[in-house]
Amino acid sequence: MVSLDENMLVKKIQEGDQLAWSDLVLRYEGRLTNYAQSKIKDHASCQDLVQESFLGFLAKINNFDASRSIQSYLFGILSNKITDLLRSLGRLRTVETPVDSSGNHKSSPFVDPAMGASTWYRGDEKKKLENDALIKCLGLLINQFVQRKDYLKLKSIELLFVNGLSNLEAANILGIDNKTVASHRHYANNFIIDNLKKMNLSPSVFPHLSEQDQD
Amino acid sequence: MTITKATLDAFIDDHLNEQDSVRVEKAVRESQELNTLLKSIIASREMGDHSIGAIWRREHLSCPTREELSSYKEEALDPQRIDYIKFHLETVGCNACKANLSDLNCTKGSLNNADAIEKHRQFLENSKILLPKKQ
Repeated sequence: MVSLDENMLVKKIQEGDQLAWSDLVLRYEGRLTNYAQSKIKDHASCQDLVQESFLGFLAKINNFDASRSIQSYLFGILSNKITDLLRSLGRLRTVETPVDSSGNHKSSPFVDPAMGASTWYRGDEKKKLENDALIKCLGLLINQFVQRKDYLKLKSIELLFVNGLSNLEAANILGIDNKTVASHRHYANNFIIDNLKKMNLSPSVFPHLSEQDQD
Repeated sequence: MTITKATLDAFIDDHLNEQDSVRVEKAVRESQELNTLLKSIIASREMGDHSIGAIWRREHLSCPTREELSSYKEEALDPQRIDYIKFHLETVGCNACKANLSDLNCTKGSLNNADAIEKHRQFLENSKILLPKKQ
């Protein structure tokens, strides 16, 4: 949820208010620096990356989507910068894709033959719509768990979706039955599919929803 | 540790803890099958496919607010909520929330030496020219 305070801050920066800009930097600098330091030990490099992230934010301030959280946006920029740095150090998670002479990524040669045809013709606007819909559905799901204080389901789904664990691994961590975790996954998938349908979106464009853990 | 498609997704987003990350990286280097799967996930993302885990992580959808983290520090929340936030920090291992909590715990602030303070001051000064012009 974005606070009015945050929206006001962005609005003032968009109007060129220097104090608002200083306020934003001071407000987020500490948490961003700590985040960078959890990945990179060199303090000077961390400070550089954080400052570059602020500049990235400022460069696009006029196009900032007011429905987004500043914190998530800044962490996203910083995370990409950390990834770029780690890539230069040879970390595998950032498998490189070919880049054309303008520095843009070319279509990857590693396209999964099983990739749905829908992927190929969906425009950017449609993808954003789908992305926003999924954010909304997940938000509703999480909010429902929190309101009902159903934290076991939330923990279970978080381990499956966010940490990518199997049903069995999540069950072992939570000290519950494997089948219970499977039922949590089933519940979450159905909740998301139902809500996507209510938004007139086809769940088929979200391939992860059809994936079931077999253990 | 079973390496699933969702595990590789978390690996790409650097969400795994150091130990698991190293384990996955080693497995991907040794297994052609996993290597191909990793590349296909990256390609799929570039083509615009949506990953629930990636969206959840990127948007910090289950992260407690900064105010909640502050109350968590003071143990001034419902015990079930405290238990969940502890899980989110320690078991899920949310780096953004850990960074936030660490910032809340730090009395000196992130600028803890003269060089850092000067660099910060210079940054604010230099970046001001990039601000949109006042109407």
